[in-house]
Amino acid sequence: MKYRDWLLILFVTSVIMAISNLIGYKTSIIESIPGVVILCGIALLGQFLSQIIPVKLPMILYVTTLGLILASPISPISDIVLQYTNKIAFMAPVTVVGAVTGISIGKDYVEFKRVGWKFLVIGLLVITGTFIGSAIVAHMVLKVTGRI
Amino acid sequence: MYYVVEKIKKEFKIYITAIILVVISECIGTISFQVGWGKIVLFPMLFALIIAVLLGPDLIGYFKLEECKTASALVLVAITPFMAKLGILAGGNIPKLVALGPALILQEFGNLGTMFLSIPVALLLGMKREAIGACYSINRETNLGLSIHVFGPDSPETRGTFAIYIIGSVIGTVYMGFLASLMASTKLFHPWALGMASGVGSGSMMAAATATLANIYPEYANDIFMLGGASDMLTGIDGIYMGMFVAIPLALKLYDWLAPKLGSQKQ
Repeated sequence: MKYRDWLLILFVTSVIMAISNLIGYKTSIIESIPGVVILCGIALLGQFLSQIIPVKLPMILYVTTLGLILASPISPISDIVLQYTNKIAFMAPVTVVGAVTGISIGKDYVEFKRVGWKFLVIGLLVITGTFIGSAIVAHMVLKVTGRI
Repeated sequence: MYYVVEKIKKEFKIYITAIILVVISECIGTISFQVGWGKIVLFPMLFALIIAVLLGPDLIGYFKLEECKTASALVLVAITPFMAKLGILAGGNIPKLVALGPALILQEFGNLGTMFLSIPVALLLGMKREAIGACYSINRETNLGLSIHVFGPDSPETRGTFAIYIIGSVIGTVYMGFLASLMASTKLFHPWALGMASGVGSGSMMAAATATLANIYPEYANDIFMLGGASDMLTGIDGIYMGMFVAIPLALKLYDWLAPKLGSQKQ
């Protein structure tokens, strides 16, 4: 995808994020702007890095890691980054993703209805397995390290 | 400039509808209600998704197939600012976690064990590649981003991830609370271990589990909240890397190994 496609979609996404932040989380548009700009800047930079770095990884890994590094203690701008992006509520950028994803998977509705119950079973199984698995390991490590 | 105008015209309907959907969803806001042990919390994202699906070609028919496909490409880009935010949140929390030690980190690997059970079951139920996306993790927001980018927005694997995400959103919280109390009643696990296990990567699920556990073990309540929160935070930080470098490859290998044996092609 070309960069101008990216810029356009990011621009629209930014506008919608600011709207979400306003309606859902009572943050004024003006206040949201620096945070939104930072998030999109990191997204673009991540995309750029993924193209120039020879290791083949999905670009969001670069985006998330870039965010991680910029907000971590070793970063000189961590305070600024945290201060402005904290104004953007956690779930605000996700609402627009929900909308666009819903549009794109709308064509699969009939299919999903047919197999939906299977996902319910698997969903419960996954949650159960994750919890029990972690509890077992945690308990064992605590025992081995003598803490219990 | 002409290119941009053409592009806007094509995607205009999607953008405008998306804005309207978001406005409606945010106006509905976050809805939470108590159900037995736990609380169900429904975010605007879910409403936007549901209404958007209703508008699709299979139901109301406001969107045509072509437009659905165009929207797929948009999802890829639209989720990136959110992924940036996740990274930032994680980065801000690193100092807190360095203080906490190995048990917390190691129990993250416990999160992987689940797929050895869930993938075979999924295959036996007749699922195909959706099983991979559905089973490699508990599928919260981070995994949506990861799946979309690793498997593609239109793939069966990503559909699997989304399906589990939706189910987790609706009943995950209540079920976690229930599960935590069940595990506590077995008396096989130390409250600290259960507290750590509560951090699966979903704040609401973690809250349900820790609240239930604190209720059962009041003397350990503070520890449980702290460990659950820390474990959840840790999953937030390592989730995408564990997913990408460990869980997804593992799930793919498991699937390739088991599908010929258990998959519906056999029957």
